[in-house]
Amino acid sequence: MRVVHYLNQFFGGVGGEEKAGAPLEVREGAVGPGLLLEQLLGADAKVVMTLICGDNYAVENQEELIDSALEKIREAKPDLFVAGPCFQAGRYGMASGALGSIVQSKLDIPVVTAMSEENPGVDLYREALYIIDSGTNAAKMRDVLARMASLAVKLMSKGEIGLPKEEGYLPRGLIRDRFVEQTAAERLVVMVLAKVKGEPFESEMMPTTFAPIPMPPALKDLSKAKVMLITDGGLVPKGNPDRIQGSAATRWGSYKIASCDDLKGEDYEISHGGYDPQFVRQDPDRLVPLDVMRELEREGAIGKLHDEFISTSGLANPLSNTRRMGREMAERVKQLGIDAVILTST
Amino acid sequence: MVGSNRTVLGNGIVHVVGDAHVSPEEEKAVRRKLVEKALEVLKSEAK
Repeated sequence: MRVVHYLNQFFGGVGGEEKAGAPLEVREGAVGPGLLLEQLLGADAKVVMTLICGDNYAVENQEELIDSALEKIREAKPDLFVAGPCFQAGRYGMASGALGSIVQSKLDIPVVTAMSEENPGVDLYREALYIIDSGTNAAKMRDVLARMASLAVKLMSKGEIGLPKEEGYLPRGLIRDRFVEQTAAERLVVMVLAKVKGEPFESEMMPTTFAPIPMPPALKDLSKAKVMLITDGGLVPKGNPDRIQGSAATRWGSYKIASCDDLKGEDYEISHGGYDPQFVRQDPDRLVPLDVMRELEREGAIGKLHDEFISTSGLANPLSNTRRMGREMAERVKQLGIDAVILTST
Repeated sequence: MVGSNRTVLGNGIVHVVGDAHVSPEEEKAVRRKLVEKALEVLKSEAK
């Protein structure tokens, strides 16, 4: 069994945060945790290549990293790709998830990674990948690697993969068929009775959880603030240059409004399959209130309106996708030094 | 975040900051009021 392993600069032994900018490095054989991984995978397993990349380099040059790493991995002809464990290291998790999902889809080989549940990589890649729940404590390295290896061996032998709790991976939100003794109504009654008696019971649904996001503080003086307009109502320039999908959009766009005081229907179209677009088509200001924002800008109520608005289509979209786009937009907004955003949502 | 006071209720899904049933002048006034309300909540502490 040929294995390729991905590590960040820290676990790869290159260095700590001061080496986070280190570019992708390719080494022959196992490095660091890879030595133990190789052992746990069994006698016929060999880590033929270890890829090491600095955390900052990986997230700042993700496309480049994926392109060159994928080429190296392809050349190594692996049977298995392992990334991490990443524990709570966010950038490491993001890179491992991105690489893992691309390797899985392009090379069609099993992929295993590990992260703590709070790692932002989990949000983005839990549906696509088997992510072993590593917890946050890196001292548990051996346990985590053992669970990764055991799942990897099962995946390699195309054995049946048990439920998340049995195998130790984070729930992927998949639903599988199963024969049961009791009907849904009977199970429900059993559950209610258990709840009333204060006995333990387990829901069959995995409720979506939203971690609380701290809200930014109030702006004291809007007359100096740079404000930006964002919409999820699918307003795009005629021709939809970024090909933003009208449903389950994977992309968002940023569109110039620098020399414009009023949006005209003939210049725009709506890419959104979830509402009747005729009114916004007639007058896009009904969705992106540019005319009024210009007035307020001239009157000094706001400092400046940013000369682009951001748009995507918010419809029937998996959370993993919308969280990624939201994160990307937030990064852009921060980069541009925007003080406040008005987001209009259909 | 759901339930936050940083959310302003718009004027319907089909024209969040507009109103197709009134004159253009009146519609702009509707829009302005909604945007002013949005600016107001940006100045208030989030709850």
